[in-house]
Amino acid sequence: MSESRQRVRGRILPREKGAAPLDVVIGVMAFLAALALGASLLADRQAESWREGLAGRLTVQVLQPDHPTAALNMDSETDAAIQILRGTPGILTVTPMSEADATKLVEPWLGADALVKDLPLPRLIDATIQPGAHVDFAELTARLKTVAPDSNVDDHTRWISRLQNLANTIIYAAYAILALIAVATAAAVSFATRAGLEAHHDIVALLHQMGAHSGFIARAFEWHYLLSTLAASAVGSGLAGIAFLAAGGLEFAGVEPVPFLPPLGLNPRELAWLLAVPLVSAIIAWATARLSVLAALREIY
Amino acid sequence: MIRFENVGMRYGPGPEVLRDVTFQLEPGTFTFLTGPSGAGKSTLLKLLYLAEPPSRGLITLFGTDLATARRSAFPALRRRIGVVFQDFRLLAHLSAFDNVALPLRLSGRKPDDYTHDVEELLNWVGLGDRTHAKPPTLSGGEQQRVAIARAVVGQPDLLLADEPTGNVDPEIAQRLIRLFGELNRLGTTVLIATHDRGLIERSRSREMRLVDGRLVELRRG
Repeated sequence: MSESRQRVRGRILPREKGAAPLDVVIGVMAFLAALALGASLLADRQAESWREGLAGRLTVQVLQPDHPTAALNMDSETDAAIQILRGTPGILTVTPMSEADATKLVEPWLGADALVKDLPLPRLIDATIQPGAHVDFAELTARLKTVAPDSNVDDHTRWISRLQNLANTIIYAAYAILALIAVATAAAVSFATRAGLEAHHDIVALLHQMGAHSGFIARAFEWHYLLSTLAASAVGSGLAGIAFLAAGGLEFAGVEPVPFLPPLGLNPRELAWLLAVPLVSAIIAWATARLSVLAALREIY
Repeated sequence: MIRFENVGMRYGPGPEVLRDVTFQLEPGTFTFLTGPSGAGKSTLLKLLYLAEPPSRGLITLFGTDLATARRSAFPALRRRIGVVFQDFRLLAHLSAFDNVALPLRLSGRKPDDYTHDVEELLNWVGLGDRTHAKPPTLSGGEQQRVAIARAVVGQPDLLLADEPTGNVDPEIAQRLIRLFGELNRLGTTVLIATHDRGLIERSRSREMRLVDGRLVELRRG
């Protein structure tokens, strides 16, 4: 590059030295935004895995009769229910759950003491439904009741919809947090732009005086805030990405997962979504800086 | 071309700084604006370079009535005016070269297109060896010459200068006035506010004098 070309590249606004407090605020905002976004992705993935795991299945639960007889007891009712299920069109597999499996299911709540073995645990029969097949649950329940009056059928729809509601609540809460962070980022940039205009008032007034279009002056500011926001929010969301990677790495490090909590690590595709945080932050900063400068310039004659 | 009709100007609720000012500047003329300190010279210049709106009266600039013109038309009008401010108003973080090149940048010209012109002009005002220097490292006189170079580099239609020779020795002052004269011969209308009687006497140009905010025509050029 020739000497003269270097000279004419002088920036209209002087370069700020060091990280401004705004950069720290933007970095923290981006960190929180990336955490919220990651939480919404985790909730969405977990809801999807719940749906996949439970849809197309039904569970028949056979309880201990109040007064068991030789003809009507838990074993006979279970066998009868299995026969009914196997004979029902649309049902693909029927798997009765062993007592050991049932004990394992209650282990997270009750532990594995000998006491658990004395509890009257119901017999569970797991059935899968052929994809696309329609099973009339009301009719199936009625038929089961005739041979196994202590049975009931759970097609998991209530459970799925509750889990879906829970996941949706988490997702919408995350969106609300993202919206709040976007508003706070815009407010912080607007405040900083106004302060920047104050600090560089002489330069802005001179450029305005010399016939610079408002867009020219706004560009000097919007680029400054776009680039500094991009850098600060990249650091913030990068740290959040590292936090998610570390959470995912805990399992590999042998840390026991918390029962019923989804794994907190994000997969590479979900991590890529975190890149949206600096990009959107930079766009918000750019637009806010531009609008703030244009509004301030409109006040000058 | 430039016309003031009964123009009055007051800042806020204060007294009128300019009263019933009426005059006309024909294209390509050279005029001195004189008057004691506080007579309103700087205010009159501010109205001319569109820094302030008048409190009353009509101003017509390059055939445009400012009272009815759209604000969006002002930047184009301002770019036709070169101003040498009394306090220079150079950008401290830019080199002398970049300061002088600023009006050309604002009018959308590319560096390849104006680098030669800017360097030549800096040579002309005696600052050929200070092109990289930033204003805080320049003397008052050098800063003034940068400010003058910036005002004339775009060959404006109107050149306004507030005490442009106040900080330079007589030899440089003569050279700068010759520069203004050269620009004037090329068609620029020049209005110089000054206290320097010697400068006015030597030039025989028109002189308008402000006394207590009122304009008196002393000499027609």
